[in-house]
Amino acid sequence: MAEDTLDVRAHRIVQRLLLAGLIAAFAFLLAGMIIDLVRGSSAAPAVRLFDLARAGVHLGDRVMAIGVLLLALTPAVRVLSLVVLWAVERDWRFVTVAVVVAVTLAISLLLGRG
Amino acid sequence: MVVRGLARRRPVHTERDVTLVSPLEVGALGILGIFAGWLGAVIGIGGGVVIVPALVLAFGYDVRVAVAASLVTVIATSTAAGSAYVGRGLTNMRLGMTLEIATTLGGLTGGLIAVLVSPSLISGLFAAMMLLTAFLVVRSREARPPAREQPASSGESGYETRGALAGAYADPRSGALIEYRAERLLLGWPISFLAGIVSGLLGVGGGFLKVPAMTLGMQVPIKVAAATSNFMIGVTAVSSLFVYFARGYVHPFVAAPVALGVGIGALAGTRTAAWVSPVVLRWILAAVLALVGVQMGLQALGVRIG
Repeated sequence: MAEDTLDVRAHRIVQRLLLAGLIAAFAFLLAGMIIDLVRGSSAAPAVRLFDLARAGVHLGDRVMAIGVLLLALTPAVRVLSLVVLWAVERDWRFVTVAVVVAVTLAISLLLGRG
Repeated sequence: MVVRGLARRRPVHTERDVTLVSPLEVGALGILGIFAGWLGAVIGIGGGVVIVPALVLAFGYDVRVAVAASLVTVIATSTAAGSAYVGRGLTNMRLGMTLEIATTLGGLTGGLIAVLVSPSLISGLFAAMMLLTAFLVVRSREARPPAREQPASSGESGYETRGALAGAYADPRSGALIEYRAERLLLGWPISFLAGIVSGLLGVGGGFLKVPAMTLGMQVPIKVAAATSNFMIGVTAVSSLFVYFARGYVHPFVAAPVALGVGIGALAGTRTAAWVSPVVLRWILAAVLALVGVQMGLQALGVRIG
């Protein structure tokens, strides 16, 4: 079966999007580290996902935590993009597959909350 | 031994909410990351299997903090590596996603198990995995894993078929497209589920389970399996990382320097891969894995070393 040019281009776009997300994530990680090091902060506390916005979290830790979150989102974005791309291709069997995976990721987010 | 020399004289952390890191420790974490990333890029094994024991034995962190930090780096390398292969058509994303139904369930399960059981059990399981990996490394005849090989041409190396678990890949020598079909999904799923649990519980990619599941169980060609596994690993890691993240096992100041280091090390590794002998490295790695694995196992059993 010959490849569809639109198909290949769409995947490349998604790939670039993910790499951009990766670079942004690393930028946040680096920036957060620098902030904490410059401020002389010597604590490396845990940052809970749902407490990210809570007051009392050091700026540097908050920025780094956002970087971690961005990293965690890149595979999730890929899954969602496949839902869209496969829907465009009308490959419904695999749209279902990707949706199931996306739902599982969402459940892990909620279940993790405990 | 290097590991013992770096070991802090303070006890292993059991309370997870506060850890003190000096700038020196941040630098050491970065160097650990660089080394792990470099090793992973050069011989395909690095990352979690190196990072977790180092963080536990040398830095004294709770094993779950170590696993969470390792999962962050696993996601980063998977996303970065995936880009090289998805664009070339070698990765079968339909196959990957289908197996991911099981792997993400496994990752979620692994993460939940990790936060509910004792850290010593996790350390013990990790030690067992290290010894198994050492054995597999010694047995493996591949000096360089297939996933790291660049395709001969810069064009498409294959494609995946729509509506089915099948596709084709380009034979590197003849350039001809060889078709394949994935079989026995009912065998691939439980192994993928197990790979997901291992990944979520121990902070490793799980490729050493996923690739054989596809090549042996499902008759998928190894190049496709390796590329697809790389693609899958990140998705699996997310399902367990979310659990750790929500429960407070992610210490950004630990994960960040290691992840940055891994990024630098992996980039350097792709450029310097030709300078070193992968075979020698694999033997050294196997020896280190065995020794450190024993150390971790002993620690899990409560025996103090050094």
